[in-house]
Amino acid sequence: MPRNSDDEDRKLYSERPEWADVTPVPQYQGLNPIAPIFYTPQYKDATEYFRGVISTGEKSERVLELTEAIIRMNPAHYTAWQYRYQTLIALKSPLDLELKLMDGIAIQFLKTYQVWHHRRLLLTALHDTPSSSSSQPAALAELAFISRVLMVDSKNYHTWSYRQWLLSYFDDVHLWTGEISFVERLLEEDVRNNSAWHHRFFVVFGRGQQQGEEDRPEVLKRELGYTKDQISLAPNNPSAWNYLRGILEQTKTPFSNLESFVQLYVSSEPPKQDILDLENPAPGESAELPCVAALEFLADIHEQAGADRVQKAIEIWKSLGDKYDTMRKKYWEYRIREALASS
Amino acid sequence: MAKVERDIRPTPTDGYPSPTSTIQAQTENILRNRIPSTSTLPSDSTKNDGTLQRNSHLQFLLRNLVQGFPARYVSQDASQPWLIFWTLQGFSVLGVGLDEQTKRRAIDTLLALQHPDGGFCGGPGQFPHLLPTYAAVSALAIVGKPGENGGWDQIDRKKCYDFFMSLKQPDGSFLVSHDAEVDVRGIYCLLTVATMLNMLTPELLEGTPEFIASCQTYEGGFGSASFPGWAIRDKDDIEPGEPLLDPSAPRPPLGEAHGGYTFCATASWIYLQPYLRTYYDSSSAAAAPKINTKSLLRWATHMQGLEIELGGFKGRTNKLVDGCYSWWVGGCVGLVEGLLGFGHSNPLHSESQSKGEDEGMKGEDKENEEWDDVDDSLFNRKALQEYILYAGQHPAGGLVDKPPKVADSYHTLYCLSGLSAAQHRVTPSTAQKIVLQSLWKDEEVPDDETEKKLQALRKEAFTSSLSWLEEEGTEKYVGGSQNRLNATHPLFNLTVTHSEGIMAHFYGRQIPSRASRSTKK
Repeated sequence: MPRNSDDEDRKLYSERPEWADVTPVPQYQGLNPIAPIFYTPQYKDATEYFRGVISTGEKSERVLELTEAIIRMNPAHYTAWQYRYQTLIALKSPLDLELKLMDGIAIQFLKTYQVWHHRRLLLTALHDTPSSSSSQPAALAELAFISRVLMVDSKNYHTWSYRQWLLSYFDDVHLWTGEISFVERLLEEDVRNNSAWHHRFFVVFGRGQQQGEEDRPEVLKRELGYTKDQISLAPNNPSAWNYLRGILEQTKTPFSNLESFVQLYVSSEPPKQDILDLENPAPGESAELPCVAALEFLADIHEQAGADRVQKAIEIWKSLGDKYDTMRKKYWEYRIREALASS
Repeated sequence: MAKVERDIRPTPTDGYPSPTSTIQAQTENILRNRIPSTSTLPSDSTKNDGTLQRNSHLQFLLRNLVQGFPARYVSQDASQPWLIFWTLQGFSVLGVGLDEQTKRRAIDTLLALQHPDGGFCGGPGQFPHLLPTYAAVSALAIVGKPGENGGWDQIDRKKCYDFFMSLKQPDGSFLVSHDAEVDVRGIYCLLTVATMLNMLTPELLEGTPEFIASCQTYEGGFGSASFPGWAIRDKDDIEPGEPLLDPSAPRPPLGEAHGGYTFCATASWIYLQPYLRTYYDSSSAAAAPKINTKSLLRWATHMQGLEIELGGFKGRTNKLVDGCYSWWVGGCVGLVEGLLGFGHSNPLHSESQSKGEDEGMKGEDKENEEWDDVDDSLFNRKALQEYILYAGQHPAGGLVDKPPKVADSYHTLYCLSGLSAAQHRVTPSTAQKIVLQSLWKDEEVPDDETEKKLQALRKEAFTSSLSWLEEEGTEKYVGGSQNRLNATHPLFNLTVTHSEGIMAHFYGRQIPSRASRSTKK
């Protein structure tokens, strides 16, 4: 980052005449703190002036410079962010310029909460300002920015939840429209990306329903088809199986509807396919079978069917605990106890 | 010595690699070298023998406390009470007490972080925030006491409560600080403090159970927050008596199921039970919100990695194991067991089991048998202990995410707390709850209905949260009892002794001493 070399050259605030009117406030006064941090001289100097600014309540251009300097040294300094935001609002600073400035900071400090929350405040303020003719272009640009960041860090929690907030808050059909294909692009790169699977669920079911998707049976069919295809590519992918369970529960579809599909994944050998069944794509030759998630799924089908099929579920849970998923032996034994108690 | 057969098959990739499976395989290659039974060279120096390096961890904590933190910890400058809490609670879990002078300095430092308008700050002169408020109050539970300069009576509870109320949002959630984000970590922090300091009111908690429930994802775990916008009705459209939030509107979770948020949401849900029991009766119009405990349990147990990952926990589906999730997710399984009604129901344990800790690693077959006999917890306690002991310890002291990372304060505490949670079973005890309820027996019940309910809420909060006790005879130590840590309270992550101490003070109750305490000093 080009800015860093500037930081080193930059004079301390205590050496700058234009800051001479501010009284720096040391951190701990009259006290020998436990577990202290050894600050760099630059950080100590900047935060002492920042405390000085807070104590007088000054909100000015130079406060923007000061808070930026602190944020670059410590992006988790939430007070610097909050004070910066309050200063921007007080000064009626152009928030689109602030957003631009923040692009670089966001890329540099992806994993910091405050980076993303600040953008959210800015987008909200832009949206609420009557003078801004339309907030939709800003939201669209923001969506594109988020996409760029997700290309760098495809599982960044804050980035994903921010994207979900942005879509919901602006709730514009132009924003939602590309989301499914965006998810599919990411899942093509990494079918095990659970963040992308969660986003898909959010897009398809989070809002209730999307425009043009009033035909819910058709949507469920599409989702089942897509998920089954992804499972056939890499059967031992818990993200895809969790999604499958999620859409069935969401739509109150019985697990048993998937029985013939699941059966293809529970034996040790890939099934011989004489006829290509597009509804039920089979595992590939390299698939490592039986698939634990499929066994679990089949046991759930048996349990839901009740009566004498509970015994079949119990046999599967035993095999999971003893052989296929021994780490969770206690959990599978619990499932057996519960099933016996309620049958 | 008979070798235990370990199933160290790698995570299946189905011949279809992706970035996730590639980094997973790299991690498994590192971790498998830490598995003791795969050692070809008995004297391999990169391995340890499963002994908790108690002394080097103590030195690590002591260095941080006394000498301070190096400059790279500037990133924690807004988390100063956390650095103190992680360190002090690390000592508590290791069973080490502090001298009076150190306690004095800790109290003074923590009180310097209290904001004049209420709540605690990440550092002096910063703004108040829910997370440092939790960390500071928890740290004061460890080192503080009543009276002048004791730290407890200097907490401004009135202002703290006002600060909490000022963060409250229409959907029942709370900002973590003014002009800051909403998430369930903040709510866990707020509820912990409000429970410990006896500050619960129905006004504070209104709508919060519904918010927590809305954060559960289709996977069963919880995300960071939920989107409120579609549920909040326009004030002009609301008929008198109708709630502000439309109960039929979607409030989708923002972000996928995650270990940290899931711990915080589950613990919050437990903290909220006294409120739900007191203020939601079956006749009221508002149906009590629900969470899906079954899918929560499934998700949490599925976060435990395979043998090749030494049974460490992940924080999200298809992510890597990390020592800190030993507490956030391993500990969360314990919370779910509490929700499911597991507890001190079965007091039967044989003599051989209760002295099991002395037998150490004498015979592994025998040991395995004992584990199965005694252990009805729903995750693999033995494997989790192995992850922390074999992969979580840094040779220079302190504990880590995973090798070859460096140790830090955060991972040191949450690895130790996770190890403690895998050694001890701390569950709700009906017997203890009855003992605690009897502390109210001479209390005058107020006539006023509102006051009566408030008293019931606070009594229920006190007796429920302090009913969590260690089940005798269920402790298990990989590596023998030399590795024993103190039990830690599943909700507070404080020892039971410290939890009782601060709550007894703020609720004005004298808790009778138990014949056998769960935290032997």
